[in-house]
Amino acid sequence: MSKKRKEVVASIEDAASKIKDGMTVAIGGFGADNHPMTLIREIIRNGRKNLTVIASATAGLEIDLLIGAGCVKKLVAPYVGQEMYCPIGHNYRKYAESGQIEVWECSEYILYAGLFAAAAGQEFFAWRGGVGTSIPQLNPDLVEFTDPIGKTKKIIAVPPLRADWAIIHVGWSDPYGNGQHLGARFGDRWLARAADRIMLQAERIVPNSVTRKNPFMTTIAYADCVVEAPYGGHPYAAHGFYKEDVEFIQDYVRSSEANRKGDAKTWNAYLDRHVFSPKDHYAYLETVGIRKLLGLYTHPIVSW
Amino acid sequence: MSDYSWKEMMAVLFSREIKDNDKVTSGAHTEIFFAATMLAQKTHAPNMKLQLGGSVTLCNVTDIEVNELPKTSTGYELLRYAESVHDHPDTYLFYGAPGGKRYYEEDSDLREVNHFWFADKFFVGGIQADKWGNANMIGLGKPGKMTFRGPGTIGINDIAIGVRDTYVFLTAHDKRRLVEQVDFISHPGKKVCRENEYYGDGPKWIVTPKCIFDFDPETLEARLAMLFPGVTVDDIRANTGFEVKTAKKVETIEPPTRAELEVLRNEVDRTGLLRH
Repeated sequence: MSKKRKEVVASIEDAASKIKDGMTVAIGGFGADNHPMTLIREIIRNGRKNLTVIASATAGLEIDLLIGAGCVKKLVAPYVGQEMYCPIGHNYRKYAESGQIEVWECSEYILYAGLFAAAAGQEFFAWRGGVGTSIPQLNPDLVEFTDPIGKTKKIIAVPPLRADWAIIHVGWSDPYGNGQHLGARFGDRWLARAADRIMLQAERIVPNSVTRKNPFMTTIAYADCVVEAPYGGHPYAAHGFYKEDVEFIQDYVRSSEANRKGDAKTWNAYLDRHVFSPKDHYAYLETVGIRKLLGLYTHPIVSW
Repeated sequence: MSDYSWKEMMAVLFSREIKDNDKVTSGAHTEIFFAATMLAQKTHAPNMKLQLGGSVTLCNVTDIEVNELPKTSTGYELLRYAESVHDHPDTYLFYGAPGGKRYYEEDSDLREVNHFWFADKFFVGGIQADKWGNANMIGLGKPGKMTFRGPGTIGINDIAIGVRDTYVFLTAHDKRRLVEQVDFISHPGKKVCRENEYYGDGPKWIVTPKCIFDFDPETLEARLAMLFPGVTVDDIRANTGFEVKTAKKVETIEPPTRAELEVLRNEVDRTGLLRH
């Protein structure tokens, strides 16, 4: 009798419960795409506090939601906003300006330098970008030094950015934790490599035979935990499945702006409606509605 | 067709700047630059290598129908135009001679200046820009006491390591945005780039809805070089937070031609995003 391979599928509730107060959590996706929203909402529902959040290189409002729900103590993020829909995240602004969150000032590649240092077990990773800007002044963890080889140019030493958990949205995963992105990968592989453990939120869990048909597409192998959440990226796009829900995002922007301007009632009503009241993921999707959800369907071959 | 928006004017003037052998990288919050680069490919620069957005999508739309201008730099629908999709950290890595064929010519001026660029051009935004061409996305106030938290630097500092020319653009021309010295530097101007021996040469222009500033080759300070149609030098002086020096000759930009607007409106920006 041989030993069976370990399957890592978990319920949304079980997976989210692995995130404890004070942990460092890296959150994948980029802009308006591929964010693990179901798990983010569940973390908020669990009342998590004092998280250090490592965002993607150009984060969207998924980070703004976590901040506005009071979960974040420290933030590593080169940008928080939604471009033309919301140039600067409203909760991000509110909490940063009042000092309620600490912002670890950085840039896209300073973030990647830190992730790479963590992933490669290096004391630091050196990067020139940022020399001469205000970033090193604002972030004392970044140390400027002189190139020891050429002896003239200044370089920044970026310390490792390690996460307890990386939470990454994928299109498919098999039960052993082999996640496949069905579209752009952004910085997800790097966020995952810098974390002690990886949690995948998949649109669909597929058999291992699907993974083996195209192993080139496996971006994150052997994750520690996998949940299935169809349409779980909503209101953001999920590559290979659906595009972003613009009206929902605009509603979020209005509610978060109200919060920034002192109207906590509107903000709490938003949180209640979309985060706290729905008893599970499917109840959340019911707040969005079938007509809207199915209208977001976008597939590379069928649609284009 | 005589009526056009400032965004359309900006898209057209950037399109004219783009050369057929350029490598252009366009980042976040840049629907104007999507329009400019797509317009360039469809008119005079079909071989321009275009790297769009966070999915590091290498796009070519020369012979492809663009049904609407992408609204975000990460848009899932951007993948329609893709010939390859890389991981985001690849954005800042060298992937072939800048300036294309020209680089390999014996007497190429590109070899004189430096040998590493991952892109020829990049567009940079900011909440403030100063007379040195520094741009600020960090915020207003002082370290430890930020009165206004800006969106964050994204990668506009990182590009100094290897973009030959950046173009700073502002969405309005006023004294709050155009200042003597920015509160915080995200994107370094020419002086900072040269002092720190960056391969990138910093900003070639600061562009606003009213004018173009270029940089004095000796002082490295901004100087008014071109006006948008209908704008006067006095208008610029009255609305700029630093002393406005002028280039020897200040010309007015040629308005978008009928031909340019036709391609822009019928083949690139069909939904009129640039007219809002």
